Amino acid sequence: MKVEHFLEKNEVREITIFKQLVLNNGILSYTKMLEHLSISKASLENDLESISSRMTVFDKQIQVLYDGQTIELKMSDEQSLQHIYRLYLNQSVKIEIINYLFKHKEFSITKLTQKLAISESSLFRKIKELNSHLKEFSLKIRNGQLQGEELQIRYFYFQFYYYIEDKTTLITSRSDNQITQAVHSLENFLQVTIVPENRQRLTIWLIISKSRVTNKDKKYKHLRKQMQPYVKDPLYHKVQVMVLRYYSRYSIEVDEEEAMLHFAFLLAFPILTEDDFHEYTLIRDRHAPIASLDTYIVETIIIHFKFRRPPYMLERDMYYHLTHIHTRLYFFHGDIEIYEYEEMIAREKQLVGKSLVPFARTLLTISTDKFMSIEVENNSLLKMELLKYISLLTLISFKMANVIQIGIDLKMDELYKETLSELLILKMRPINGIQVERYQPSKEYDLILTNDKPVEENHYEDARVYILSEILSSFDMASIQRVIQELHT
Amino acid sequence: MKVVIIGASFAGVAAALEVRKLHKDADIILLEKQATLGYIPNGLHLYWDNKINALDDARFITKEQLDRHEIQYYLSATVEKINTTQKIITYDYLEKEELIAYDKLIIAAGSRQLSEKIDGSEHERVLKYKRYDEAQAALAKVQESRHITIIGGGQVGVEAADLLIRQQKQVTLIESMDYVLFKYLDEDMIQPIEQKMTDNGIDLKLRQTVSSIEAEADHKISVHLGEESVASDAVIMGVNVRPNLHFLDEQIDLHMDQTIAVDRYLRTSAEDVFAVGDCIQLSGPGEEMVYIPLINNAVRTGIVAAANLIKPAVPFNGSSRTIGTHVFGYYIASTGLTEGESLFTNRTVKTCRQEVRLTSLPQSDTMTLKWVYDASTHELLGAQLLSTSNILEKINTLALAIQTKQTLEDLKQADYFFHPLYTQMVSATNLVSWMAERADEDES
Ligand SMILES: Cc1cc2nc3c(=O)[nH]c(=O)nc-3n(C[C@H](O)[C@H](O)[C@H](O)COP(=O)(O)OP(=O)(O)OC[C@H]3O[C@@H](n4cnc5c(N)ncnc54)[C@H](O)[C@@H]3O)c2cc1C
Repeated sequence: MKVEHFLEKNEVREITIFKQLVLNNGILSYTKMLEHLSISKASLENDLESISSRMTVFDKQIQVLYDGQTIELKMSDEQSLQHIYRLYLNQSVKIEIINYLFKHKEFSITKLTQKLAISESSLFRKIKELNSHLKEFSLKIRNGQLQGEELQIRYFYFQFYYYIEDKTTLITSRSDNQITQAVHSLENFLQVTIVPENRQRLTIWLIISKSRVTNKDKKYKHLRKQMQPYVKDPLYHKVQVMVLRYYSRYSIEVDEEEAMLHFAFLLAFPILTEDDFHEYTLIRDRHAPIASLDTYIVETIIIHFKFRRPPYMLERDMYYHLTHIHTRLYFFHGDIEIYEYEEMIAREKQLVGKSLVPFARTLLTISTDKFMSIEVENNSLLKMELLKYISLLTLISFKMANVIQIGIDLKMDELYKETLSELLILKMRPINGIQVERYQPSKEYDLILTNDKPVEENHYEDARVYILSEILSSFDMASIQRVIQELHT
Repeated sequence: MKVVIIGASFAGVAAALEVRKLHKDADIILLEKQATLGYIPNGLHLYWDNKINALDDARFITKEQLDRHEIQYYLSATVEKINTTQKIITYDYLEKEELIAYDKLIIAAGSRQLSEKIDGSEHERVLKYKRYDEAQAALAKVQESRHITIIGGGQVGVEAADLLIRQQKQVTLIESMDYVLFKYLDEDMIQPIEQKMTDNGIDLKLRQTVSSIEAEADHKISVHLGEESVASDAVIMGVNVRPNLHFLDEQIDLHMDQTIAVDRYLRTSAEDVFAVGDCIQLSGPGEEMVYIPLINNAVRTGIVAAANLIKPAVPFNGSSRTIGTHVFGYYIASTGLTEGESLFTNRTVKTCRQEVRLTSLPQSDTMTLKWVYDASTHELLGAQLLSTSNILEKINTLALAIQTKQTLEDLKQADYFFHPLYTQMVSATNLVSWMAERADEDES
């Protein structure tokens, strides 16, 4: 599921226009834009007009100017693409339908058509469209309800409120003392610290849970099955004790599965800090599916990086992120694509070289095979988890790459020497995995850049020496990059 | 002034008597669904314990007492609808629909032992006995049963387990938490009781939750928990009670847990309508609003609502959840915050558990006492008692100490009598560690 699935076709096109402008320094010719959108000039004009009228709310803070030749975006520093997205999403009928469902749990067609001021047939059409995207979450809107497994329902609402709908609205309207107190109690019961950036996630989850807990006839078939290896899990036990105690103080009969829902959530999203999570890894059952897959994947990564053991803290970090990925794959179906998948892959490829992407794919295949997941191809969950593997691998390769120490030792008049050395350092700064400075005889280096061949053979001891032909020339820069690559491997 | 009260149990009757005391010429009308008046919910336990000769002896109020106070009552009168705008109540009486208008309405419709989650819990061999007729039916069913499964290890469930095992029944008790009586006692206090339970042959299934109940062909009834099931002859529902308020109109706001929302004066969101007893939340030991269905709360809220009928005068001062009972040879009592529940508050608590002698005689029995207090102010927040001697009255002293916000230091100076037959050198409810046989301070 994608953010744009909540919008109409023309709205998606309008947003694409903004995005293209941002990607192209804010200005693009009609020809280029038409090519990208593959629409007629007349409909582009239509879109631009519609954009203009929508942008009036920004009171000239955001403007799109067009003259039949070029299109230009003017935006004040306080505004961003996010604000534009928000504007479009705020008037989305589909988002309102989901909001309404969340609030009322059930709707009648007449009430909803009145509320949204749309016709019955267009309501049906929108529900049908929503259903086609809800399918990957194994959910559907039927008989005025969101139907499916409870874990999936809460997970979907969570993703929806965290990524699509304006989350601050939900929090300000629904978060009360009880929720704040529940977050605090969770810290007490689990003996963990919920740091501010994770608190927001947990708050949203608890708001959703609070509104769902008294619903009748919730479904838990998949959850129960997946929880079987975890009934004795120490974290699950703590959650269970908390949930039972919590609801024993109200006149609420809580389902046994309520604790299971929270357990899955706690491990699938960054709620615990890495430290607290690490404490848990020390006591969890290593043979349970998620933990054993974590270990298997860590070992596979280590082999890929030619058996170099990652530093202790990096290995802990790997487990932290892998558990999130694997818990999602283990318990959940579907996802909302918050990043443009294709673009991200392309960008990552540029950044980290081609080999990590196929390796990440291998990891994903291993994981889905182990969990025997029946996710269909093209599923957003798989795409998003693949991106996470890629990010993790990128992180590892950055951290594992030896930092190459480079000394610049220019032989020339002091004034030139200083200036050119600084310029060279500036030019090399964007290269990853290096540390450049002016040569100091007392230090050890991996690479020396100089403009003069040293007189003695081992003047620079073991360091490799590159002699610059023309300082700052593109030829030299390319050669230096190649040498650095060689030194890295 | 015409005061109508829905429900003639503890809360309703207490309210009626107090209204009479405050308003000599008010018309007071109790509408009660049951056919009999004033049955005590744990009458069946009294009977099994041979403390009464017949269930009928378990009554806390008689018709004569109500007559004497000129309180009208209608038994077998079930309220079906209320209209708080027009101030009219519709009820079924002798198979006819009747209407009654009110000036002031007190909702005291209480609660029932019912599970909406457990499939099959409405089966006739799934016993509930809060009401007189239910208790009669349960009594007969238990007599013809050999093996009984109890769902819930709260006060009702554990008392029932004790009383049934004494009748040579086979007993299985199922509790979702790690230990029984968890609302009142911390885990470190429960060991002797659970030990006695297993020694006496109770099949104790902890950390297990019942999903459904199913009647089998051979007059057995199966209780399903996760992968396992237990087949027995009858099942007792010892789960938490909950209100049954289908007759309310939309003017009356409810909490998420379907209890009626009231303010400190027990006023609901509808004008001139009050709610008391088991249908409301109260400010509990942690000062949060919680649900504490106990008779003492029902009676106290009934009295307070009566005092506020004309204008808000007396706020309800909350509940410390004080309980006392006798199970498996132990007297146990608890009041205020437990250490387990303190995790829901913003307070940092400290605890201390000690074993103290009760008298100055050589063969004196001891009592285990757990104190829960505020780490910085030393204000007493909770206490738990356990002994084979009857120490139950002592909990009231501690409950009062909590209600009046006494510190441990205050308690050291409390003026208690000494008599070697009944006390030791210092009273058992003073936290003076030098008189303890054993004390475990806890720094949590
Ligand atoms: C087996 C058992 C043992 C217990 N033992 C103890 C104990 O030892 N100590 C203790 O503190 N607590 C005990 N409790 C809890 C105690 O029963 C309740 O807290 C107490 O009864 C609450 O009193 P109440 O008046 O609010 O409500 P209830 O006692 O529930 O009474 C409500 C009354 O309203 C009537 N009513 C309901 N709906 C309608 C309607 N629509 N129209 C007319 N009338 C209606 C009902 O018939 C009932 O008589 C026990 C509970 C159970 C189940």
